[in-house]
Amino acid sequence: MSAATAPSAPVVRPGLRRLVGYLSRHRLAYGFWAILTLGYVASFVTIPILIGRALGAAEQGLPASEIALRCGFIVAVTLFAAALRYYSRTLVFNLARDIEYELRNDLFSHLQRLPQSFYLRWRTGDLMSRCVNDLASVRLLLGPGVLNLLQTPILYLAVFVAMFVLDPKLALFVVLPYPAFLWIARAFGRAMYRTNLRLQEGLADLSNRLQESVAGVAVVKAYAMERANQERFEVANRDLYERQIAVVRVMAALQPVLTLLPAVAMGIVFVVGGREVIDRRMSIADFFTFSMYVYGLTFYTFLMGWVVTLVQRGAASMQRLDDVLCTEPSIADRPDAARLGGLRGEIEFRHLDFRYPGSDREPSLRDLSVRIPAGSTLGVVGPIGSGKSTLASVVPRLYEVPDGTVFLDGVDVNRIPLATLRRNIAMVPQESFLFSMSLAENVAYGLAEPDPERIHAAAERAQLARDVADLPYGWDTLVGERGVMLSGGQRQRTALARALALDPRILILDDALSSVDAETESRIRSGLREVFAERTVILISHRISTVRDTDQIIVLDGGRIVERGRHDELVAAGGLYARLASQQALEEEIESEEAVA
Amino acid sequence: MSAAPPPVAAQDALHEEDALGKAYDSRLLRRLWRYVAPYRVQVWWTLGLVAPVFLLELAPAWIVRIGIDRVIAPAIGESGPIGGARPGVFATPPSFLSGLAEAPSWVPPLVWLGALYLVMMIGSAALQFVQSWVMAKTGQLAMRDLRSDVFRHLSTLHIGYFDRTPVGRIVTRATNDVENVAEMFTAGIVALVTDVIKMVGFAVALFVVDARLALVTFSVVPFLTGIAIVFRLRIRDAFRAVRVRIARINATLQETVTGMKVVQLFNREERNLRDFAELNAAHRDAWIVSIRYDAALFAAVETAQNLTVALVIWWGTGIASVGVLYVFIDWMRRFFMPLRDLSAKYSVMQSSMASCERIFQLLDTEPRVKDPVVAPEVGHRFSGQGAIALENVWFAYQREDFVLRDVSFRIEPGERVALVGATGAGKTSVIKLLNRFYDPDRGRVLLDGVDLREMPQQELRRRVALVQQDVFLFSGTVAENIGLGRPDIDAAAIERAARAVAADEFIAKLPQGYATPLHERGANLSGGQRQLLSFARALAHGADVLVLDEATSAIDTETEASIQRALRVLWEGRTALVIAHRLSTIQDVDRIHVLHHGRIVESGRHEDLLAQRGLYHRLYRLQYERQAEASAVSDARRGARV
Repeated sequence: MSAATAPSAPVVRPGLRRLVGYLSRHRLAYGFWAILTLGYVASFVTIPILIGRALGAAEQGLPASEIALRCGFIVAVTLFAAALRYYSRTLVFNLARDIEYELRNDLFSHLQRLPQSFYLRWRTGDLMSRCVNDLASVRLLLGPGVLNLLQTPILYLAVFVAMFVLDPKLALFVVLPYPAFLWIARAFGRAMYRTNLRLQEGLADLSNRLQESVAGVAVVKAYAMERANQERFEVANRDLYERQIAVVRVMAALQPVLTLLPAVAMGIVFVVGGREVIDRRMSIADFFTFSMYVYGLTFYTFLMGWVVTLVQRGAASMQRLDDVLCTEPSIADRPDAARLGGLRGEIEFRHLDFRYPGSDREPSLRDLSVRIPAGSTLGVVGPIGSGKSTLASVVPRLYEVPDGTVFLDGVDVNRIPLATLRRNIAMVPQESFLFSMSLAENVAYGLAEPDPERIHAAAERAQLARDVADLPYGWDTLVGERGVMLSGGQRQRTALARALALDPRILILDDALSSVDAETESRIRSGLREVFAERTVILISHRISTVRDTDQIIVLDGGRIVERGRHDELVAAGGLYARLASQQALEEEIESEEAVA
Repeated sequence: MSAAPPPVAAQDALHEEDALGKAYDSRLLRRLWRYVAPYRVQVWWTLGLVAPVFLLELAPAWIVRIGIDRVIAPAIGESGPIGGARPGVFATPPSFLSGLAEAPSWVPPLVWLGALYLVMMIGSAALQFVQSWVMAKTGQLAMRDLRSDVFRHLSTLHIGYFDRTPVGRIVTRATNDVENVAEMFTAGIVALVTDVIKMVGFAVALFVVDARLALVTFSVVPFLTGIAIVFRLRIRDAFRAVRVRIARINATLQETVTGMKVVQLFNREERNLRDFAELNAAHRDAWIVSIRYDAALFAAVETAQNLTVALVIWWGTGIASVGVLYVFIDWMRRFFMPLRDLSAKYSVMQSSMASCERIFQLLDTEPRVKDPVVAPEVGHRFSGQGAIALENVWFAYQREDFVLRDVSFRIEPGERVALVGATGAGKTSVIKLLNRFYDPDRGRVLLDGVDLREMPQQELRRRVALVQQDVFLFSGTVAENIGLGRPDIDAAAIERAARAVAADEFIAKLPQGYATPLHERGANLSGGQRQLLSFARALAHGADVLVLDEATSAIDTETEASIQRALRVLWEGRTALVIAHRLSTIQDVDRIHVLHHGRIVESGRHEDLLAQRGLYHRLYRLQYERQAEASAVSDARRGARV
């Protein structure tokens, strides 16, 4: 998803504008820091003058005490400068960390608000790379970047003013090479931006390739893809190397090129200033002061070079963060959100057409209308890809639906606050994802307060309770990616318990027991019977037997409802459902016949 | 929940495992050297350049000195030590370069020296560029090789490693960690070595110019060294805290992004943000400590620089000439310069070393499943019809917690065998052993009489095709996902396989047919379509042995019927091992083994097993009853409503 187009024109404005927003929140602190910086700059400019004066005393043969006194001034101002330096540096770096903190929180919070359609388009590796690498670059821009962007120009200006006061003619000559800095900074800045952007893309690409091979390692191994895979990786790896080298070349050239500026300035001081001293228009002490100034600026000129790279990189990174942050959550509470008390749980679809955002495939649901009275159960069956899971996903608004198509208690779901909506709906998705927490915490995931009683009741109903004893730490066993491995069935049962613990008005089971064995499933279903009785339930399954005792059944094919009714009616109608049923019944028959035999 | 304190934190090994890093570790460096060694010529080049670079850095100040002492001062009658010589203390400084400084008669001496000054600076800049370019490039070359090695090693590790290790962590090893190690070449150890050489060089040069003045000015050095040592100890702990906390933040972030659907469904956004903000704040606070030390060091170095200037002038009066004072001030500043960003370098070194250690830790992870040391010739020795045998196999994922206990069975070539049993009975583990994702703890698994441990894995996996419950699709086209990069599977073979499993129908409906790109996790295909693709995949790879792991469970009846047809064609002449929940799908297999708590409790044909009235019969009855019960309930409901 990263911008694949050539970064000819670095568009970083929106990102930087957002960053300025963060900076301005701390404007008081930054104001105070600016004052400290001015104080530091003042002492920075004073020290070479004091050095000149001390040297002048020596030159004029003043007594040793006078020389010592003047050297004492240098020490005093130096200590003052050091204190200012310490405080201003601490202040600005801490501010950078504060903003990093805010930015990271905002990213996290924003990611949580983005809909599933966003996660279909963006790869996890890419998002992680932005949240980790790009955020680090932005932090550097905020720390050393901001510090030097403000301090260095002031410093230059102050030094130039001091030099003009000291000797306008020589100052004019000395200033000559510095404007070239702007040109160098621009040229390098562009090269830096271009190469870094390409590097970031290369890194993201490699991460993705790696992530995929790891996630699909079972397939890689089972099909002995290692060699082919290594070759694919090598291509990405070599490409990344090329991109790295391009960055390295620019970086390696920058500092040496920048060295030349103060070098030319120093040469000018030497030739022009030396002449003036010889002509007795300038003291040797002032000559020394001048060279101290040029010398003092050398370090900052280097630093500016480094800062230019930081700023370029940081701006590009900020833009990449902005790409995420400026994605409006297309599923959010509306200003005209309805205020609902309790929900009864009636669900209605009215002429729902649904297409996955950005998908060029056929619509997943077409002209779908069905009403599920509160407390009743809807069974959904249909062939693969007929839109069953899509139907389940739009009720809790995991995906965007058009206005006026999906209603809850007669209210358009788009007008129901998300928190209200989702508090009343518990869904068990097809793939059961568990978090790296204890088993108990996973089951209590949707509960505001972990309530042992509810957790146990839910676990009992989901037939999970028996497994707990077998786990090394019982309920406290860490599961999920970093914890112990649960079997597919255990994971599904945990996900089911997690949903049941919510005690929701509406329960949606999307083929939620596919990995559970027959024996356990039958126990789960008998336990669920009373749960179903008092709730609105959408039961999606590929098995007729799962849905046959529901209040109404819809049969989906190609996103349309092709049949609807109760089990018997549908069987009598002799359509797709009847075909599916007869196929499954046939199997049953074979089984029962043989059992008799 | 239980009385014992929650051991969740203790179970979370993620952060403990992460290396924290010393700034210097010779063991790691030696090992890293192996990656640099192929490019050592470049390394010698950069090191060889240190001396000329240093000399070119010394030269400019010396030229200024010559200009002041030999041209400017004599012209205004102030040659000799500043403020008049103190009797007996003025020593004529050495006169390097004075020959070169003699201007030809047609050039004014100051202009000549100025030009010379510039030439030196340009030369120094050019050499510096060459030096850092070569070093950085060497680093990147070494890192490219390191990344390759990481990837190669990963593919040798057994599946269990990936079951336990978060994906994000592995990705970080090959990307961020390698990047961090690369930093060592551009900013870390190389810069450090160069800096130390230069600092010694400047000190020596100053002593040569004027030993007494040098002694006085260097009196600030012990004081600064003391600060640096204290600083080093403190900042190490600060950086460690930072690293632990950022690892936690990124792990949480990754997990939240992966499980976002659940997060949103369960309204966890606010609570997650609160927890995340807490981690985030802890990270920020850890930084604040290190920022304090960094700023202190920076201020201390600057103070030292200016203090030496004051010292030089104070002591130099009557001892040294103005030119020599200039040289002292210039060189002393350069001497201190490296100390200024010591904290930055220290941080780079520490994080490089930590990354290095983590990478090597990964590379040191012993592949638990290994190819035989002397790999026998691939090919004819292993040719056979695909007879499988498990002999007294015991297997545990975690130490003594056996999921398979003394399992033995044989599958003759062309025979079809099914494993049944409740969840957790050990069916999937048998398949994992058969594919050698794991090795058994006791007993052996044989293919055509050869222990799998004595067979190259490539060979084994060429002969055994696996269709898994968890279908994984790679980003690439539909065709690529069937062929999986094997050169001998051409487009025709791919399409043939797809037709055989009736996957061609939906593939034809995709916008670009077989060339349609698929996303990560196949998000643009339905579960069943993905399953069909994996069937086609197994078919295209045409192996002697076919292993189906619960593959038919997520496919609806209509599709399953066509799959069953395809399977019949497919396992014609092949040995097949099937695991399915639905007993109907395995009724026509040659033999059924019933697994219970890791043991085979019953074996035989479907009818025989039913007749035995054992566990199989119970499993079977259960399914039968479920059907009957379901219709009874719905009848009852209907009756109640009427």
